[in-house]
Amino acid sequence: MPKNQFIDPEKIRKKGEITFLPIPVNSYDRSFKDERENFRNDDLLRIYHDMLLVREFETMLNLIKTTGEYRGLTYNHPGPAHLSIGQEAAAVGMAYHLDADDFIFGSHRSHGEILAKGLSAIHKSEDEWLESVMKSYFDGLIYDIVAKDHQKTVKEAAKRFLVYGTLAEIFARITGFNKGLGGSMHAFFTPFGIYPNNAIVGGSGDIAVGAALFKKVNRRKGTVIANIGDASMACGPVWEGISFATMDQFTQLWEGDMKGGLPLIINIMNNHYGMGGQTSGETMGYGMAARIGAGVNKDQMHAERIDGMDPLAVIDAFKRKMKVLEEKKGPVLLDTVTYRFSGHSPSDASSYRSREEMEAWQQHDCIFNYRSKLIENNIIGEDALKAIDDEVNELVFEMFGMAIDDEMSPRMNLDKDPELIGEVMFSGQRLDAMAEGEPETLIPLEDNPRRKQIAGKERYAFDAEGKAYSKMKQYQLRDGIFEALIDRFYKDPTLIAFGEENRDWGGAFAVYRGLTEALPYNRLFNSPISEGAIVGAATGYAMCGGRVIPEIMYCDFLGRAGDEVFNQLPKWQAMSGNIIKMPVVLRVSVGSKYGAQHSQDWTSLVAHIPGLKVVFPATPYDAKGLMNAALQGTDPVVFFESQRIYDIGEQFHKEGVPEGYYEIPLGEPDIKREGSDITILTVGATLYRAVEAADILQDKYGISAEIIDARSLVPFNYEPVVESVKKSGRIVLAGDASERGSFLNDMARNITELAFDYLDAPAMVVGSRNWITPAYELEDYFFPQAGWIIDAIHTGILPLEGHIVKNDFSGRARIERAKRGI
Amino acid sequence: MATQIKMPRQGQSVESCIISKLYVEEGSEVREGDLLFSYETDKASFEYESEKDGILLKWLFSEGDEVPVLETVCIIGSEGEKADGRGEKPNQMNVQKNEDDVSSAEHSGTGLETRTGKDARRGSGISPRARKMAEAKGIDISKIKGSGPVGRIIVRDLEGAEAADPATGRATGMEDCRDEPLTNIRKIIARSMHQSLQNSAQLTHHMGADARKLLATREMIKEGKGEERYVDITINDLVCFALMKALAAHPRVNSQLHGETIRLFKHVNLGIAVDTERGLMVPVIEKADTLSIEEFSKRAADLAGQCRRGAVDPDILKPDKGSFTVSNLGNYGVEMFTPVINLPQTAILGVNTIVPRPAGLGGGVYGFVPYIGLSLTYDHRALDGGEATRFLKRLAEEIENIDIK
Repeated sequence: MPKNQFIDPEKIRKKGEITFLPIPVNSYDRSFKDERENFRNDDLLRIYHDMLLVREFETMLNLIKTTGEYRGLTYNHPGPAHLSIGQEAAAVGMAYHLDADDFIFGSHRSHGEILAKGLSAIHKSEDEWLESVMKSYFDGLIYDIVAKDHQKTVKEAAKRFLVYGTLAEIFARITGFNKGLGGSMHAFFTPFGIYPNNAIVGGSGDIAVGAALFKKVNRRKGTVIANIGDASMACGPVWEGISFATMDQFTQLWEGDMKGGLPLIINIMNNHYGMGGQTSGETMGYGMAARIGAGVNKDQMHAERIDGMDPLAVIDAFKRKMKVLEEKKGPVLLDTVTYRFSGHSPSDASSYRSREEMEAWQQHDCIFNYRSKLIENNIIGEDALKAIDDEVNELVFEMFGMAIDDEMSPRMNLDKDPELIGEVMFSGQRLDAMAEGEPETLIPLEDNPRRKQIAGKERYAFDAEGKAYSKMKQYQLRDGIFEALIDRFYKDPTLIAFGEENRDWGGAFAVYRGLTEALPYNRLFNSPISEGAIVGAATGYAMCGGRVIPEIMYCDFLGRAGDEVFNQLPKWQAMSGNIIKMPVVLRVSVGSKYGAQHSQDWTSLVAHIPGLKVVFPATPYDAKGLMNAALQGTDPVVFFESQRIYDIGEQFHKEGVPEGYYEIPLGEPDIKREGSDITILTVGATLYRAVEAADILQDKYGISAEIIDARSLVPFNYEPVVESVKKSGRIVLAGDASERGSFLNDMARNITELAFDYLDAPAMVVGSRNWITPAYELEDYFFPQAGWIIDAIHTGILPLEGHIVKNDFSGRARIERAKRGI
Repeated sequence: MATQIKMPRQGQSVESCIISKLYVEEGSEVREGDLLFSYETDKASFEYESEKDGILLKWLFSEGDEVPVLETVCIIGSEGEKADGRGEKPNQMNVQKNEDDVSSAEHSGTGLETRTGKDARRGSGISPRARKMAEAKGIDISKIKGSGPVGRIIVRDLEGAEAADPATGRATGMEDCRDEPLTNIRKIIARSMHQSLQNSAQLTHHMGADARKLLATREMIKEGKGEERYVDITINDLVCFALMKALAAHPRVNSQLHGETIRLFKHVNLGIAVDTERGLMVPVIEKADTLSIEEFSKRAADLAGQCRRGAVDPDILKPDKGSFTVSNLGNYGVEMFTPVINLPQTAILGVNTIVPRPAGLGGGVYGFVPYIGLSLTYDHRALDGGEATRFLKRLAEEIENIDIK
């Protein structure tokens, strides 16, 4: 909501109409003869070669899946193989102009795109560069295999490298491009600009937007192509990604060389089927997918339908569209029509389509027709073509033999080293900046108005007499987060932040106040209300090499970013075999006072997902230190904050929150108050309820409570907690997450196991009720209060003389509630 | 069995009631339908009629007391039945107590509790920490009443017990020792040794034998070391060799006692005590008297090895396999001991170390002569002292005149 954009009621209320430009459909009408002047003969033959290689590669996979054998070699591949036989022209045409600096993202059906893009990148790259890439990748592991006893050219070696690495990856070999951890649906090889393919339909629809953002913001060469299916146009995240990619601000608010659209092509590989559902006529209403462009922006995303059965038509379209991107008029939407002769997967009986239809399309087989044209136009003779056929077949056969050879291409030895996969879950690096360069800022750090305002605040909440300063005087938790953020913005030129109301407003909870003045649009901007795309774009931005802070305002909106938080953000580091880094700090604010859909603590959902780090600081000192550590790392961190305590001062760290840089390592709980009789372990803002409870326990019952703030959920060091329990013999865990399925239960179980012999009672868990969050006036009956903690202690751990419980923590109540599902 | 009478819950919102009047005195008989007490809430008053026949053992509250609902008001049981009263005052009523002697030690009222008797039976439990502490301090937990949730014994209950019960003794110093469960073999040994001493009439005679010839023979054997047929015949083997001859002369010593019969053996099935890491084992060499000294020696060494490796046939370890047993502690320098009979055998020979003793060398000359100590424990039920002494004397003579040729 920038003030310089005036929403003029006179204009807004004026009569008018929206007009659309025609959207071209298969407008390519040049003959093969016409194209002779645009292509050298060897280019035309290369197109044939590349299509044939894709076809033979997938034919091989199809035979293995359906007959268990390829050219006399038997092999069982139990994993997936979603084939694109028939779509080769679309893949090779798409890749023809692309070099290693152009990034493609794909779908579950992307073997063809991987090979086509790889072959194009190899063709366009210098030998020296190719050799250095191959020799350095996994210390030359793959190169040594494919180059052994191979005396041909570097480009020939690179082709073997590409085919073998992809195939070994599909077969889950440690010699695959991603150590066998990606597999068929997620194979990729970033040095050639082949970025993750995605087993979630439309998964690339917002990740690719983040990659294009990375290219733009960091002024990197190249374009980004999202190859997604026609059915993915029905997926919310794809629509969100398109909305994000076409924001007006790129052309209206971003300044200087940053003004202009994203270098992105959403390329719909339209094979007309989403599994068996027919997107035109059955499951969608767009008729032609290109129509979608008209509904997005006034450029209609330069949408076109193109003939994906003719490689030259696709090459022509990409040439024209890449010029659009160069002119900063992106993004572009292409509806590339094609057809897969193979089923959705080899198990598919194609019961949803007729024999007539399949036969009719076979008449349009891109390879057969293109081959005929080569001969008709005297580009090459039958014998010479046969030689290409033989060379391709031999290459595929030889690489197949090597990829299934258990000695040459072993799988990860998890017997020998059971933790091997665990070791690649996180990249775990510490980097001040993700790239070199001068961070782009608008004012010197010391001139920042927020910084000046903070300078007058008390960095410890109490004065020398122990009296609390007024709220306004206290250095608050939101100040701690701000200091960590602005520090990093001035250190790391790649760092950007976006989300809802991040600019001008200063963030919904005033954490970002002072950033708008400091940063240009291209480093801090408002996103559309698209939580999926916010996290998805951040994932894409980070996997290309940038550091990013997406923010989704309320924790309750995590569901809107479900796939991105659960499937994308956490997985790519490990699925890449630790090639990719994911320096994303996802800020999530836990609400209060705002009822059922704005006040939930979902830390447990996130902590459940392998591959994410999860922190939830509750003091200004911890918030700053943990944010610094999160931003220094290269792993995805979900950073929870509580709206209940954004204004809390530092009550524990007596030296006050340091003005300079310091880190608090992720995973280390902190003893906030020492005690001897019972341990209270809290997550998040419940810390302050525990402090209240500890005061009551001391004053009324003479019980000394030790309070430990978990600070992190993943990773987590149990040792200090176990030590505390060994001393006290008793523990109660408290947090704002609803009790059923709360991560506190996981912690309680682990602590019980680790300190069983020292326990005087079972660990008690105090969570929120398994209800909707009621109105603010009723919240005390929903969120754990100090009294609840004491009730739980009295009922489950240590009966307290004279205590009358208000909340029933008895086993009987637990059973009854569980029976009723509440 | 005593029954607790609880304050009824009069409506969901009522947490406690005031007792207005008690109608029955402690120790009085009550019948079903008798008025026990009346009570009131802030809205109404009620009367409680007995649902049981019996003696009113104890009132836990007095008139005017406020009692939480579901809290026990009084206990009804049979004549002479114990009813441990709760000493607590009404305002302590929320502290849970374990009541072993009443039928349903229900969790006493928080006003919300609905624990069943089944739940309450868990009240016999003890927390892991308290168990550990009780073991370390040697506290008998059977005497402790738990004050924890559902009557569980928790640490604070032990803190009281420790102070209140100095008789448990081992309150301090336990940190210097530890308790280990017995291994199975140890349990078997313990049982059989204890039984042996309890179920027989054992006594031991000690006697020495001039060991000069014994030692000379041993020296002679050792000279053969390195020869092809060399067998390392030990002092113990030689003693056993002599023993076989003595037993032949005193067949009643080579025997087992079974109730009112004595079993006499044609051959000597000789048990040999072997000290192993796992404990004492006594393998039996059957028909030891039919073996040459070399054969015997090899067999004995072999069996000892098997015992130490744990590879011995358990059948030959059974006490009733043997007719006589030898236990040699001479190697360890033991000069005299009282071996325990391996029942049902009637005697056991303890072989001691060899010590020089002054002895007459003839012609009024005295000098030091090596003597080997022999300790014979016998079951007086089977053998008399005379026979035992004669046997022991014969053995000494056989040793003094040993000749293995």
